[in-house]
Amino acid sequence: MNVMPPGTVSPSTGSLAKDGGKSGYDLRPSRGIFDLELGDVWRARELLFVLMMRDVQVLYRQAVLGVAWAIIQPVFAVIIFTIIFGHFAKIGSDGLPYSVFAFAGVLIWTYFSESVRRSSTALVTDAELVRKIYFPRLIIPFGSVIAPLIEFTIGFLILLVLMVWHGLYPSWHILAVPPLLFVAGALALAMGLWLGPLNVRFRDIKHTLPFMLQIWMYASPIVYPASIVPPEWRWAYALNPMVGVVDGFRWAVFGQGKLNIDTLAISLVLIAFLLVGGLVFFKRQERVFADVI
Amino acid sequence: MKNDIAIRARGLGKRYRRGQRNKSNSFREVLVDGAKSLFGPGATPSAPGSSPDFWALRNATFDIARGENVGIIGLNGAGKSTLLKILSRITTPTEGTGRVEGRLGALLEVGTGFHQELTGRENVFLYGSILGMQREEIARKFDAIVDFSEISDFIDTPVKRYSSGMYVRLAFSVAAHLDPDILLLDEVLAVGDFTFQRKCIDFAHDLERKGATILFVSHNMFSIKSMCQRVIYLKRGEIVFDGPTDEGLKLYETDCRLAVAPWFHPEPDMPVVDITDIELFGEDGERKQMFNFGERMTIRVRYDAKDPITDPDVRIGINRSDEVHCSTFSSVADGIGLSLLSGPGEIELTTPPIKLVSDLYTLTISVREKKYGRMVVARLGETFHVRHPVFASNAFGVFNEPAEWNSLALLQTNSRDDIQLSIAKKQPA
Repeated sequence: MNVMPPGTVSPSTGSLAKDGGKSGYDLRPSRGIFDLELGDVWRARELLFVLMMRDVQVLYRQAVLGVAWAIIQPVFAVIIFTIIFGHFAKIGSDGLPYSVFAFAGVLIWTYFSESVRRSSTALVTDAELVRKIYFPRLIIPFGSVIAPLIEFTIGFLILLVLMVWHGLYPSWHILAVPPLLFVAGALALAMGLWLGPLNVRFRDIKHTLPFMLQIWMYASPIVYPASIVPPEWRWAYALNPMVGVVDGFRWAVFGQGKLNIDTLAISLVLIAFLLVGGLVFFKRQERVFADVI
Repeated sequence: MKNDIAIRARGLGKRYRRGQRNKSNSFREVLVDGAKSLFGPGATPSAPGSSPDFWALRNATFDIARGENVGIIGLNGAGKSTLLKILSRITTPTEGTGRVEGRLGALLEVGTGFHQELTGRENVFLYGSILGMQREEIARKFDAIVDFSEISDFIDTPVKRYSSGMYVRLAFSVAAHLDPDILLLDEVLAVGDFTFQRKCIDFAHDLERKGATILFVSHNMFSIKSMCQRVIYLKRGEIVFDGPTDEGLKLYETDCRLAVAPWFHPEPDMPVVDITDIELFGEDGERKQMFNFGERMTIRVRYDAKDPITDPDVRIGINRSDEVHCSTFSSVADGIGLSLLSGPGEIELTTPPIKLVSDLYTLTISVREKKYGRMVVARLGETFHVRHPVFASNAFGVFNEPAEWNSLALLQTNSRDDIQLSIAKKQPA
């Protein structure tokens, strides 16, 4: 049945209707568990982009060093790790120069932890919007895991320069970087989908997050290679989904060793479960955001 | 005909849990309760003994036809904002269903979503997108938006440096160019200076001519009257009237008489004082509600002080229909020693000549303990009109009194210095 009588459609509305498929919506108290309305997110992609741009624009405004901050932090972390773990503790690095080895780990980890942090807290940061305006709430965690890709890209270019300086050249394995990044993003999104709604209700999450991420980092092969974990504990170690991702990332960047398919497969299955569960959880919680935030 | 309905609501209701915010924000409590409540929709039935739920809105059923302008009235907390929030999908109803046909623009608060650090230009794009416009559409309308806002000189300045007036102008201008099929307005017209308000009202009328459906929440009965043919009157979350504006406003005004002022929050240990009646008389001693500009008004208040109260401060305030607080008479400020209020009694006060401009006003009566002590009672009183052929609030502000004028520069002899004369000459006669 035609829902829009032609007389009242302004040109702009017409374009929206074309673009959005339908204009108009139903109001109802409850939805089915798997009615995730991902189509709404797609229709709101432009707002997603605009909100992301806003965050990027604002982040380094009125900072003298501007976007340089995006790399200063990881670079300093790598320097410290290189001194402490590389020189003093003499932790192995699978035959690579320690600084390059650590940089690759820190890079993917920074992307991941930054995405988790933003997607978990962004709902509260934008509480004013959530309370006063309708938009598909899912675009907030989605945007939060896309925006840090900018910083990742800058860092990645620096990593390539660093590698060439050390005489290391990437192989065809590097083609695996985007899919691995996608997996890291999916895991960060899953965390955000769980933690974001919890943070709306309990601000405790915001305080727990930094040390949770700190612990998680040391439970992942960032400053040390996964190979130092005793073989009989590898299976337990692989239950941390970031293990497969970080390992895979180094394999992709340095083109050495072999991809640990088993570990990666465990990561993927875990992430898939966390993600689907997170989506359902987020949608269930979504309708009270405006009331409790 | 389905196509003629812009908004259809069937038994919409929204339940909130009293004190929800404070209670469930304790993480420990929830850990103790078990995580199961997290998977519920939030408003799970409360356990026995805990604070009861309350319904901010209940059984809201109505149809709004395409092109209709409907005013939503009611005291604060009657559920008006909840209704708009449900209709605009900010929050989901606890029960009931509804359907909204067409592009909806909700202006529940102008400027939500503006980012302080960004410039006016960047904010136009940001806010436009938040309101649901496409980027290409905003770009196309950008010049018109800036023109409408009249702040083109500052468009590349971060909005944190804007005055609140500029901020509102820019935000409203963006919203004004949304071209919605359905517009939800919540008191936003009550912002900005007067000329800008005029613009906003013109904008609303413009939309009206284009056939848009407008839902308008306001305390300003005059705006409601001028914009809406129909009102929905909400009282404690329920629709008590839905029909012609005049009839609805009359009912609302009758209900408001002696209603407890919405901003008054009694404490349990307060002395009980009741206002039982308020009457208005003209200079001739006749009861009336329509006063001429400059007329004196006699206000008679009947009270019943069930608990005696010593050295009270009795205050009678005058509020204009758009909630502008115009004046307050205070017994303490006027040096009247009402040493004790006890039992039933009467207070009468005759105002100086009322020099308020033409509008509708509401009296508020409050009694405070001692000097500036706790407020023990506050009620909305009678409404009255002031009539003046020229002085209306849309051009003459709150009050008007003739001033003494002198045009010295023009009349004085030529011996004064030339500068002053040249200025005087420039002025049109």
